[in-house]
Amino acid sequence: MSIGEYLQVPIFQRALLAALVAGGTVSLLGVVIVMLNLTTMRFALMHMALLGGAAGLAFGASPLAGATAAIVLGSLFLGPFSERLRLDAGITGAFFMTGSIALAFVLFYKAGVPALDVFGLFTGSLLSLSRDDLLAVAGLGAAILLVYACLFREIQLVFYDPEQAEWLGVPAKRIKNALLFLTGLSIGVAMKVVGALLIDALILIPAMTAMRLSRSLLQILVLSSFFGTAAAAGGLLISMALDMPSGAAITLTGVCLLGLSVFIRR
Amino acid sequence: MDGGSCALWLSGVRAGYGKAPVLNGLSLSVKKGEHLAILGENGAGKTTLFRAILHLLPDIAGTIRVLGRDVKSREDGAWVRSRVGYVPQGQGKGRLPISVFEAVMLGRWGKSFSYFRRPGARDRELTAEILDVVGLWDLRDKDCRALSGGQTQRLHIARALVREPQILLLDEPTTYLDDASRDVLARLIDQVRKKWPLTMLMIIHDWQYARRLADRAVYLRRGRIEECLEVV
Ligand SMILES: Nc1ncnc2c1ncn2[C@@H]1O[C@H](COP(=O)(O)OP(=O)(O)OP(=O)(O)O)[C@@H](O)[C@H]1O
Ligand SMILES: [Mg+2]
Repeated sequence: MSIGEYLQVPIFQRALLAALVAGGTVSLLGVVIVMLNLTTMRFALMHMALLGGAAGLAFGASPLAGATAAIVLGSLFLGPFSERLRLDAGITGAFFMTGSIALAFVLFYKAGVPALDVFGLFTGSLLSLSRDDLLAVAGLGAAILLVYACLFREIQLVFYDPEQAEWLGVPAKRIKNALLFLTGLSIGVAMKVVGALLIDALILIPAMTAMRLSRSLLQILVLSSFFGTAAAAGGLLISMALDMPSGAAITLTGVCLLGLSVFIRR
Repeated sequence: MDGGSCALWLSGVRAGYGKAPVLNGLSLSVKKGEHLAILGENGAGKTTLFRAILHLLPDIAGTIRVLGRDVKSREDGAWVRSRVGYVPQGQGKGRLPISVFEAVMLGRWGKSFSYFRRPGARDRELTAEILDVVGLWDLRDKDCRALSGGQTQRLHIARALVREPQILLLDEPTTYLDDASRDVLARLIDQVRKKWPLTMLMIIHDWQYARRLADRAVYLRRGRIEECLEVV
């Protein structure tokens, strides 16, 4: 089939729409991961998703439902938790990462959960999205845009000088926790779209590309969104044209864009 | 004296971070428009004194009166922080790409813009004026991360001045600066003084430098003001 023919099929139309929306919005949180030092935290959330998936299977629910629940809980509590214990978000992340993966292995063993079913979470696909999934992606995208639109100056100040933000009266902690929560939800979406091992392709890599080329937060956001859309939609189209798995094609497109930005900046 | 006519009046202040108080019965008064230098060894409690004035410490005993208002509650703290500019010790450049102009303008957050209220013409005018005073106007579009140490220090002072404070607290503004930059900074402080009738408290280690900039100097030891040194 040619790309034109593919796009007559509702499944592919939906996939392209999801790629455009998810690529354009979820990538806006990449700069949050970089500025708030959440690189370990996002790994922790992924591993908690695995634990959630195992728990879901053990209790007879779908692994994805369990994984999503774990991510929501994790991103709600990890921020305030590390705040309370005065720990670096990175340290808390590492602690929960290993802790939850160990618990998941115990669950696999004790409940006789087939580990391979859970590891299915590691491969996502745009083509498996339902109508409801698409609505969820759109809702999340709208929430991300809304937060940036309403809190742009506050977020800028929290990234630039978190201490001044705090004593000027910006609710810095609440803003950080809200951004962490949105990041968690985005990881859930990315798991569904490109698979757990490739979430960076959707969230982090477009932002890294943008940050190489930007001189202000606004530029970072606009370019992140652009590169995210280009990678997700472009990757999907390439995967159709060349008969490749979509997650891999999206990731490779993103990586190529990043490589190109390194080249351009020279 | 009850401190009614003072910019700052502290009496018997005890404050710290936990068990043993760092400030231990500290008293100090600063007249409006006065420039005060604060000297003292490392760990004497100089930075803690600033944090007490800004109401940024967990529990503070004694009286702190800022611009005639007793500072006791959280609201008082916010009131003080909207009138007192603060340049903390050893500020870095941050990691966010941001222009000098935007960084300075952000200092006005909570003054005339926040949440749904965008920065307006007044914010931009004031930012431009301050950048001119501190000599960073030509660098207004430059990325803050690419400034030199002296330029960064002037940037932080600009971020405090743009809030139109009545009192300015400078915590070791000369660290990391070479002699030439210290000179620039001294002239800048003189210029600020001519332009606005600010009350200024400066933590400075260099006695010669303190003499040049301040009307009066105090020495802080073990959480109290030990001696007042006349500056001639
Ligand atoms: N956040 C904190 N938590 C606990 N103790 C602190 C904290 N900050 C400072 N202290 C302690 O309070 C005392 C006074 O510290 P402060 O920072 O006020 O000293 P300083 O006079 O500013 O010193 P320096 O010249 O080194 O800047 C020190 O003994 C220090 O260990
Ligand atoms: Mg200090």
